[in-house]
Amino acid sequence: MSIKIIKPGVLSTLQDAGRYGHRSIGVGSGGAMDIFAMQVANYLCGNDEKQAVIEMNFPAPEILFQQDAVISLAGADFAATINESNVPVWRTLFVKKDAVLKFKQPLSGAKLYLAVNGGWQVQQWLNSYSTHLKLASGGHYGRALQKDDIVNCSANKFSFEENKILSWQISAYQLEEIYRPQNSIRCIKSAEYDLLDDSSKQNLLQNNFIISNQSDRMGFRLMGNTLSLKQSTELISSAVDAGIVQLLPDGNCIILMADHQTTGGYPRIASVIKADLPKLAQLHPGKAIHFKMITIKEAEDALISMCEALAEIKYSCEHSLKKYLQY
Amino acid sequence: MLVSFENIIDENINEKVMTLQQVFKREHFEGFIETVPAYNSLTVFYDVAIIKRRYQIEITAFDFVKLFTEDLILQLNRGIVSKPAAIIIPVYYNGEDLDSVAQQHQLTTAEVVAIHTAKPYRVFMIGFLPGFAYMGKVDERIATPRHAAPRTNVKAGSVGIAGLQTGIYPLHSPGGWQLIGQTPLKIFDIHKNEPCLLKAGDSVQFVAISKADFERLNEY
Repeated sequence: MSIKIIKPGVLSTLQDAGRYGHRSIGVGSGGAMDIFAMQVANYLCGNDEKQAVIEMNFPAPEILFQQDAVISLAGADFAATINESNVPVWRTLFVKKDAVLKFKQPLSGAKLYLAVNGGWQVQQWLNSYSTHLKLASGGHYGRALQKDDIVNCSANKFSFEENKILSWQISAYQLEEIYRPQNSIRCIKSAEYDLLDDSSKQNLLQNNFIISNQSDRMGFRLMGNTLSLKQSTELISSAVDAGIVQLLPDGNCIILMADHQTTGGYPRIASVIKADLPKLAQLHPGKAIHFKMITIKEAEDALISMCEALAEIKYSCEHSLKKYLQY
Repeated sequence: MLVSFENIIDENINEKVMTLQQVFKREHFEGFIETVPAYNSLTVFYDVAIIKRRYQIEITAFDFVKLFTEDLILQLNRGIVSKPAAIIIPVYYNGEDLDSVAQQHQLTTAEVVAIHTAKPYRVFMIGFLPGFAYMGKVDERIATPRHAAPRTNVKAGSVGIAGLQTGIYPLHSPGGWQLIGQTPLKIFDIHKNEPCLLKAGDSVQFVAISKADFERLNEY
């Protein structure tokens, strides 16, 4: 009732929707970088949105299935193969015992999620399966997957004769709504936006920023025109959140991502809207982004649209799966 | 949503923050996630989708939370004075920077220790790392700016000073604070139901202990 990691990838970790209610003791929410793909991966294989998934980067791991399983891949496209046959992303897959899942090349996106019917049976800490790397807690022993690791899943309840790609899929339209246009990232003003000088306010919106190599699950550092404040100010630290764009002392910006610290003292000039964090998470270092400032109302409407799209996908997955699986 | 009070580091301001946090624990709305207290601010995290669905409001969820919070702030003056938990933290004062902190202030190391343990400190907020408590205010006579170049690895349990603040590293971590001692207590323990020994609003009293006591009490 498990998979075995034949070759490890780069930072493959167990993640879920995140760990909430503990920021006041310095434990951030963490969780999947692309919360949309994480949830869709779960829906595609008949789970609710709370199950753990494996978040993979390229190079991604090579995985041996030690049992039959109903799985799904969602998010980035790493040219997946099962027993050397190509398999698509955003689909439900039936996988037979002894099948090997490999990934050949990064075609698009940065984060790929692997879900299994019933969920991965890994450690929960503070009500979340997400891997807290710093505390070595949650997920698979609080660390990235390594060669020869065995990750358990529930017993497969379904019978099928061979590896199979189910025919229905997530609509291209729904995916475009979330992930396109690829480099346009919507944001709202954050607490210290008005401390920026006028030309920096213009620069923020008129210029492209490149995601630097020094980017990880904690934050994306940006390269581009440097920004400055009207006058230098010493801020008193307070809480921060994923999506917040902080202005560093050298004039460059960092966008806080899933594993960010819970508090910070750098000026918060903008905040990437929640609905665009999945899109941002799928961008590699080297990619350019362009900020677009919108209102809080528009930001909330975008988030509601994403939630509605997810609810629709959940509903249609349940119905489509019923045709194949008796439950 | 960030609720900011007066822009200073002050016990009374922080007490207002903590009182507002207490009020939120008692009275909140559907879609409320959590609050994070800091020196002079309380940040309220909420779920936009739940608020919109539950309350069917025309205004934004942000404005809804803002109105709700403004209402709670009005009640603050009616005052709930919570007595802070008092926590004793034993420290073996052997830190790598103890000598230089003493020298910078023309004190003996014993005097630095006496001043550091002379009064309880308030936990203003927890952040930076899981369980890292920002405490203060430290006596001006031992206040020391942090190192320009942070150390790459500070041991868990290290007690440090940064300006008027004092704190304890709960985990091995890079850090720039002036290290004056080491506590044998685990400040953050993932195996406990309440993993964090300290919370914002607590009162912490440091007590100097000997090397032998440190070794006897060492939880690391």
